[in-house]
Amino acid sequence: MGRVWLLALRDLRLEVRDRAGVLSALTFLAVMLFIMALALGPEEGTLRRAAPGVLWVALAFLATLLSGRAFALEVEDATLDDLLLTPGGKEWVYFGKLLFQMLLLLPFSALALFLAALLFYLPLEKALPLFLTLALGGLGYASVATFYAGLLARLRGREVLLPLLLFSLVVPVVLAGVRATAGLLEGLPLVEVASWWQLLLVFDVVYLTAGALLFPVVMEG
Amino acid sequence: MLKAAHPERPDALTWAFLGLGLLLLPVGLYLALSAPPDVNQGYLARIMYLHVPGAWLGYLAFFVTFLYSLLYLFRQDPRYDRVALASAEIGLVFMGLALVTGMLWARPTWGVYWTWEPRLTTTAILFAVYVGYFLLRGAIEDPELRAKAAAAVGILGFINVPISYMSVKWWRSLHQTQSIDLTTGKIHMDPAMLQALLFNLFVFTLLYLGFVRLRALVAALEAQKEEA
Repeated sequence: MGRVWLLALRDLRLEVRDRAGVLSALTFLAVMLFIMALALGPEEGTLRRAAPGVLWVALAFLATLLSGRAFALEVEDATLDDLLLTPGGKEWVYFGKLLFQMLLLLPFSALALFLAALLFYLPLEKALPLFLTLALGGLGYASVATFYAGLLARLRGREVLLPLLLFSLVVPVVLAGVRATAGLLEGLPLVEVASWWQLLLVFDVVYLTAGALLFPVVMEG
Repeated sequence: MLKAAHPERPDALTWAFLGLGLLLLPVGLYLALSAPPDVNQGYLARIMYLHVPGAWLGYLAFFVTFLYSLLYLFRQDPRYDRVALASAEIGLVFMGLALVTGMLWARPTWGVYWTWEPRLTTTAILFAVYVGYFLLRGAIEDPELRAKAAAAVGILGFINVPISYMSVKWWRSLHQTQSIDLTTGKIHMDPAMLQALLFNLFVFTLLYLGFVRLRALVAALEAQKEEA
């Protein structure tokens, strides 16, 4: 566990020190939400109805960007093999990279929520359950994204392959996430939304276990 | 479904599957065309005898890919990878068949070729996952890494199969529920139609088995050539 935190915090420190990466991701998120609002607006009803979908698409793009960054520096500096050569299992590399992504993704999704509230007339009194939905979905998304980013890290053309493989695989997560978000915004009782949360949780557990189990096998070569 | 490490030509079992499948295909067609028309849809329902086996084989083939991907990761034997590849390729073809026949069926019954309905959406996603499987295979040159990466996709991608299968129950959608429900074992169908459907399922499964063995053999020959 110590190593997991160490790796995640090191990556986070590199990322923050560099600034360019975090800032460009932030700007990307903001610009994207703005353009979507511009394209769909200015009708309030339309914007509000489109908001869950837009939010999730924005987060999906953002997470893809971040997962690419999680391994980009390791490949650039040729430190990936050193990382994998440390004695013991290799799952911790996966969990460390995943933690790093979640540490960035969580504040970003909170920010996306506020931006969406601003641009898409989202009511924020349900901010907490909404954030929970985003966090659950983000975890499911990041668990697959981290796995694929690691797998593709050493390949040419990974920038295209990553979203291609990723998006088709995480559609269940996005689908459940969009439904839960839409349900919350329509004012459905929490009990009904909870079934989507359960589904999200199931995906999280399945993807997380599968990712952690497969990662060491795939990274060996 | 495995053969010797360096095969030359298809073995007897492959020929048996292929021969029997091709021989029985006209019989299945005859049964399908002579089956009684549906109460609601009339003769239109006969597309079912192509649609259901297509979807069933898609699921089965992806399951076999899942199984052999797991085996490959544990045993690291390239033969397992070749079967996984063969099965995924054939599954993709049959899934495509199910999608196309489904669209042809949807037009007269629902009025549109395509609608964003859970079963259709999840099936299209499933299709996309396995297209990704082949894109990934094409992108990696190192055979060992290629097999590993493909196995990972074959395992992770399979999660969509049960979702696609259960989608008609979970979301109570436009698509009709399973006529033969594998989860409860209940059957909602006229016996004459059921017989024809089961026969077609059997024939298609025979063909699938033959195709997989043949495709795995071709993959083995390709690998041999790659090594040489």
